[in-house]
Amino acid sequence: MARYILGRIASVSLVLLGVSVLTFFIAHVIPADPVLAALGEHARDDQIEAFRRAYGLDRPVPVQFVVYLGRLARGDLGVSIRTRRPVAEDLREFLPATVELGTAAWLVALLLGIPAGILSAVYRDRPFDHLARLGALAGASLPVFWLGLVLLGVFYYRLQWFPGPGRLDVALSPPLLRTGLLLVDALLARDGAVLRNAAAHLILPALTLGLFSTAVIARMTRSAMLDVLYQDYVRTARAKGLPRRRVIVLHALKNAMIPTLTIIGISFGSLLSGAVLTETIFAWPGLGRYATASAVSLDFPAVMGVTLVIALLYTAANLLVDLLYARIDPRVRYG
Amino acid sequence: MHASTPASATAKLAAAHSRRRSLLLAARRSPLAAAGALGVIAFVLLALAAPLLAPQPPDAQRLEYRLAPPGRAFPLGLDQLGRDILSRILYGARLSLVVGIVVVALAGVLGTAVGITAGFVGGHMDGVLMRVTDVFFAFPPLILAMAIAAALGPSLTNAMVAIAAVTWPVYARLSRAQALVLRRQEFTEAARAIGLSDLRIVVRHVLPNALGPLIVQASFNMGEAILIAAGLSFIGFGAQPPIPEWGVMVSEGRDYITTQWWVPTVPALAILLAVTGFNLLGDGLRDLLDPRLRQR
Amino acid sequence: MRTRLPVFLLLISLLAAPAAGPTLAAPARDTLVYVADISDMISLDPAVAYEFSGILVAQNVYDTLVAFEGEDLTTLKPRLAQSWKITDAGGSWKVTFTLRQGVKFSTGRPLTARAVAFSIDRVIGLNKSPAFLFKDVAGLKEGDTKALNDRTVEVTLPKTASPQAFLSVMTFTVGAIVDPEEVAAHAAGGDRGEAWLRNHSAGTGPYALERWDTESRVILAANPNYWGTKPKLSRVVIQHVPESSTQKFMVESGDADIAANLTPEQARELGGKANVKVQKGRLLQLVYVGMNAKHPPLDRVQVREAIRWSIDYDGIIRSLLRGEARKVQTIVPEGLFGFNATAPFQQNTSRAKTLLAEAGLPDGFATELLVPTGPAPGGVKWSDIAAKLQSDLAKSGIKVTIKETTQAQLLNIYRAQKGQLVMILWGPDFPDPDGNATPFSDYTAKSIAWRNQYEDAAAARLAKQAALEPDPAKRKALYQQLTDRILHQGPYVVLYQPTTRFALGKSVQGFVWNPMAFAEFKTVSK
Repeated sequence: MARYILGRIASVSLVLLGVSVLTFFIAHVIPADPVLAALGEHARDDQIEAFRRAYGLDRPVPVQFVVYLGRLARGDLGVSIRTRRPVAEDLREFLPATVELGTAAWLVALLLGIPAGILSAVYRDRPFDHLARLGALAGASLPVFWLGLVLLGVFYYRLQWFPGPGRLDVALSPPLLRTGLLLVDALLARDGAVLRNAAAHLILPALTLGLFSTAVIARMTRSAMLDVLYQDYVRTARAKGLPRRRVIVLHALKNAMIPTLTIIGISFGSLLSGAVLTETIFAWPGLGRYATASAVSLDFPAVMGVTLVIALLYTAANLLVDLLYARIDPRVRYG
Repeated sequence: MHASTPASATAKLAAAHSRRRSLLLAARRSPLAAAGALGVIAFVLLALAAPLLAPQPPDAQRLEYRLAPPGRAFPLGLDQLGRDILSRILYGARLSLVVGIVVVALAGVLGTAVGITAGFVGGHMDGVLMRVTDVFFAFPPLILAMAIAAALGPSLTNAMVAIAAVTWPVYARLSRAQALVLRRQEFTEAARAIGLSDLRIVVRHVLPNALGPLIVQASFNMGEAILIAAGLSFIGFGAQPPIPEWGVMVSEGRDYITTQWWVPTVPALAILLAVTGFNLLGDGLRDLLDPRLRQR
Repeated sequence: MRTRLPVFLLLISLLAAPAAGPTLAAPARDTLVYVADISDMISLDPAVAYEFSGILVAQNVYDTLVAFEGEDLTTLKPRLAQSWKITDAGGSWKVTFTLRQGVKFSTGRPLTARAVAFSIDRVIGLNKSPAFLFKDVAGLKEGDTKALNDRTVEVTLPKTASPQAFLSVMTFTVGAIVDPEEVAAHAAGGDRGEAWLRNHSAGTGPYALERWDTESRVILAANPNYWGTKPKLSRVVIQHVPESSTQKFMVESGDADIAANLTPEQARELGGKANVKVQKGRLLQLVYVGMNAKHPPLDRVQVREAIRWSIDYDGIIRSLLRGEARKVQTIVPEGLFGFNATAPFQQNTSRAKTLLAEAGLPDGFATELLVPTGPAPGGVKWSDIAAKLQSDLAKSGIKVTIKETTQAQLLNIYRAQKGQLVMILWGPDFPDPDGNATPFSDYTAKSIAWRNQYEDAAAARLAKQAALEPDPAKRKALYQQLTDRILHQGPYVVLYQPTTRFALGKSVQGFVWNPMAFAEFKTVSK
């Protein structure tokens, strides 16, 4: 087991190295100049020169690459050209909001997707199946930014069921930020009002963001369930006269969760990157908006930082899922 | 093989007949897949016939009627510059079709080439190619697409390149898995034994046998491409104005959502229908091609 | 089996549980909530900030020696300086300020003349985006500002600078006075406190910065040591809301008091609502198309004139902008001294075609129009205006390809003199006609004229002469001459001068928008 984990970590590092090489390549081979984006249209030539020097942009690209890798090895992601702060500092500030949103959306996807998938399989080709699949697919086929605006318009503006954009009502002041995750910080500060408000603020964006993964998870659960439901041992169990519900819950579900787990791991990564659009609509101060703003102003140190962090989270989530396999499925053994 | 004896002709006929029947049967059993197929066909037809069907040129501006609601004169209303939304949707369908096809072609060819090479050659080649695929897999898709589009500059062409760059790894994994299986099968061995070159074996035997899952993936990929293109347009890395690309229409029209809802909503629904169509079709094709599911 | 569906529904309702009692509390009575797109905010240090949102904050946290108040950009009012005078010292100008007594920083320390010299030298020494206002416009170096005693400051300007322009610059945040001791206490590695002042404040303004959560909100709290009339509202929250539709939702729901980025359509719709009122704000910006004067066929005066005669200015202003912009066609906008109201151009396709034929292009030509992404001033998308221009120019036989690109890329191309047609905005850096005249007419200033390769020695000379002319009547005549010349000779199509719109909660009073694109929150009540 330990050897397996070590091996995986080695291959993950390799992948991350690849990711950083690729982002660097994208950023530097094509001559897009970030300096003016940072200094604005009134910048004088001497300021531009000074800026270039300060950020090492005046050096040859291979030298920049070596410097970049050297820094990276020390855990230094460089300085953002746009915000002029260390990228690591920016990420520390923006990541928690996205993790909170991503986790909430992930929960939405799990809580909606898995039951929908199971029921779809059980009622295969019956109206519920069609309805659930169609609903899930439609949810995953809408432009997120339109969906988000419509949800805000209906549930915040018209019905007033949910609070508006942002992570917290303006009337409330956020608790002392320890983790950056508002829910956790509110719990730590034992601030019930903030906790409830922050949770309510999460719902609409989480729904908007989670709908895509809901469809993916529902689809996967359904087909995994179908596979299992028609396998011999399930038929045997049925033949032995076990009630269908028991068979489904006891036997089918457990085995069907294995392929579903993979997709759940993958979808966490895609949620993090899908946050780009949702965060703009919901004025959510997270990594997605940071990435967008950075890309628009050609701030490549920041884009590289975001990419690396998300790739890291993504591979970590998948590693975790693989390890979970071993626990659920006795057939899987890692040597 | 002998020329058709009466018996084999009948058998062929029967086979064709039963194939048609099974298709009908499949359609009845999964009406969603059928609906998806119909939707996709309708989408392609509308796209092809856009110049015949559109009541106006897509860029014709009539400022005096701008933001007119859907009604008898303008079935789907007019946008902020007084352009006919129906006409723009129809011409936009062509663009979405082009985006989908180009992305599928780029991503599919690249991914399949990488995957089959990795699976068929094996060894170190496999290891290296799959690590490269892993790197692309680990990228957050929209952010990578955004970075590529930002570096290349915004245009529909660059957006297509960016989308293909983030979607090819799926093809690579799928085709590698297929190649691994097929590599060990008898016909491959037999072909090797009679001295066929690897390339020939791949093109003549491996590829056709691996095609099923790839076609399914292509269908999903079409929908995905349209959605990612819309996302890129929202950030400003999509099609150039005044091109009636659906994603641009939604994102440029979104400020009107509270005042003239039809401006962003009509293209949003067009995206919804097209993407759902491709997804349903993909689902249906997969059911149809999956032998385990077919038996029942 | 039938029991499954309720289980499913239960799961969904569980999801919705936290919303059972959402706190839809309206913001407190003493807090002003201002929602805007503040994604451009980089620093709140007045020596660094040169973006709209950063300046908005800095204007409320810091004071300048002199100020333009409300919408009036012509009458200089005392602020931290009680009085000032300009003297001709032969080889130079001397501007002497006498400071107001009893002014304290939010830190509790008193304002001194030394603080003024420190602040001005700090801007020059840091040499960040706004530094050129002191270095180039006023010709200042470090050490040119001296504290004569505790209350008197003397600034020595070279004769090539205009003391009036210098005073205009001093109203801008670049002239804000910071507490030198506080800044010194937080300076790190010779940065003159730049890192600390980025998200802290040390000023004498009506508010002090309480916190800035990047990409989220800025909270200002009333400065307890403020020397003037206490602000009516003790807290201001500037909340980042990028989408205008969302801003509209918030102000209508009462979650926000002022929304800053409404589109003309949204403002029109809100005009009919009972709980919201719409207020306009003037801007000194100009939306224009620059034409590269060395790029054939744009190098021919007739061709540029033909383009100007092709555009349906009224259609853009009346339809797209819903009338909320002024038709301005010269390079000095309304609200600045020397404004020239001449607006001869309107769409006249046959005239445009005649001009093209004179230039030897009876069949028109093809060119490229570069535009930024996002909304243009006035609340309409740049791409929509571009599509309108494309359709207008097509009528004269000019085939335009639109290239929409991020502002960053656009500036790279524009500044490298590689644009053909470039649509963008310009706002003066200080409220003086020279803030427009020199950039638009002096090639050597390496600004707009340079980017469009417009070398016109006569225009440049006129601009220089007008900038330094002390007599208002003569100065006015010079600007008239300059603007008239550039109207036809220059490489610009000035499209409009935008206005901006705010949605205010019904009870909000006293909100005044300064055309230099900021507001002073101290006068606002609700």
